[in-house]
Amino acid sequence: MPPSDSVPEDLAEKAAVMKEFGRLRAAGEPVPHDLYIRHVNATNDRYATGPEPGERIPEFVLPDHNGQQRNLAGLCGPNGLFLVFHRSADW
Amino acid sequence: MEQSRALLEQQGVRLAAVSYDSQDTLHAFAEKYGIGFPLLSDRGSAVIRRFGIFNSNIAPGLRAHGVPHPVEYLVAPDGTVVRKYFVPNYQHRVTGSAVALREFGAVGNGVPALTLQSTAVTVVVGLASATGFAGQEVGFFARFEVEPGWHVYGSSVAAPYTPTAVTFDDPKVVNQSFQLPPAELVRLAALDETLPVHSGSFQGIGSILLKFPLDAGPITLAGRVRFQPCSETVCEPPEMLPFELTLTLEPFMVAPHR
Repeated sequence: MPPSDSVPEDLAEKAAVMKEFGRLRAAGEPVPHDLYIRHVNATNDRYATGPEPGERIPEFVLPDHNGQQRNLAGLCGPNGLFLVFHRSADW
Repeated sequence: MEQSRALLEQQGVRLAAVSYDSQDTLHAFAEKYGIGFPLLSDRGSAVIRRFGIFNSNIAPGLRAHGVPHPVEYLVAPDGTVVRKYFVPNYQHRVTGSAVALREFGAVGNGVPALTLQSTAVTVVVGLASATGFAGQEVGFFARFEVEPGWHVYGSSVAAPYTPTAVTFDDPKVVNQSFQLPPAELVRLAALDETLPVHSGSFQGIGSILLKFPLDAGPITLAGRVRFQPCSETVCEPPEMLPFELTLTLEPFMVAPHR
């Protein structure tokens, strides 16, 4: 496990942009458009979106917020499942 | 998502969300906001990685390390992806109601809508949802009723004919798309031409991407419906009917980064 001070240069640069964006948003201050664009670009760089239409999603079993183990079969309705991946419920 | 859930469930589609939060965090969130669909806990982001959507731009040590690229999948019961939604700006999301409208042509009750009238054509234009967030993709529809003996032109028709279109000309809309059903190719004797036309009742579906950030509260979205009503023998001048629809923006919550 590399020591934390050996984060690759471009990650450190991205982290600085993300921290500044977060600081301004949390303080309720306006974000300069230029910083906003840099933040979005840093966050979305080389984005990957996973399985394509027609492909199968990977198998999974995950606990839900009530502690129940769930998989696709248990989550799906008769016409399918809308599966949303998001950043966090905590913030 | 919770607001759109009923609409999707009416279509036989259920909802689930995945994040890297703990069960406890998700339980508290579900209680606080009255969430009625499963929030799945992918602590350590193993499933996020298995889907191939781990966001590797976020350094270890940042709170957001471990988050996915925010993709949304409509998955068939056999596990295949029907459609994938991703807008490359993490603040922009697709609403469940936009999905219900696009996939199933379904609209909930009480959505903002207006009826516009002109010679031989009535248009009901409306939004898929009464509420939304800045940065979201919101669905809209335009239902046309053209009187018998009349028609309007398809979107692919060339000058000097006026194509049928619905556009939002509002700085709060940063991107938009609109699609009519396939037009009929009809030989129009009076013009001695074969042209794409629509007649009778038909509906176009579109979506708009709202700017981010925008203040919470009601906003009006201005647009225009454009078409040219023609009968067997005569064409009326092209119509440009303006409209304004009101959407209520909910407040966004953004947490501090470490």
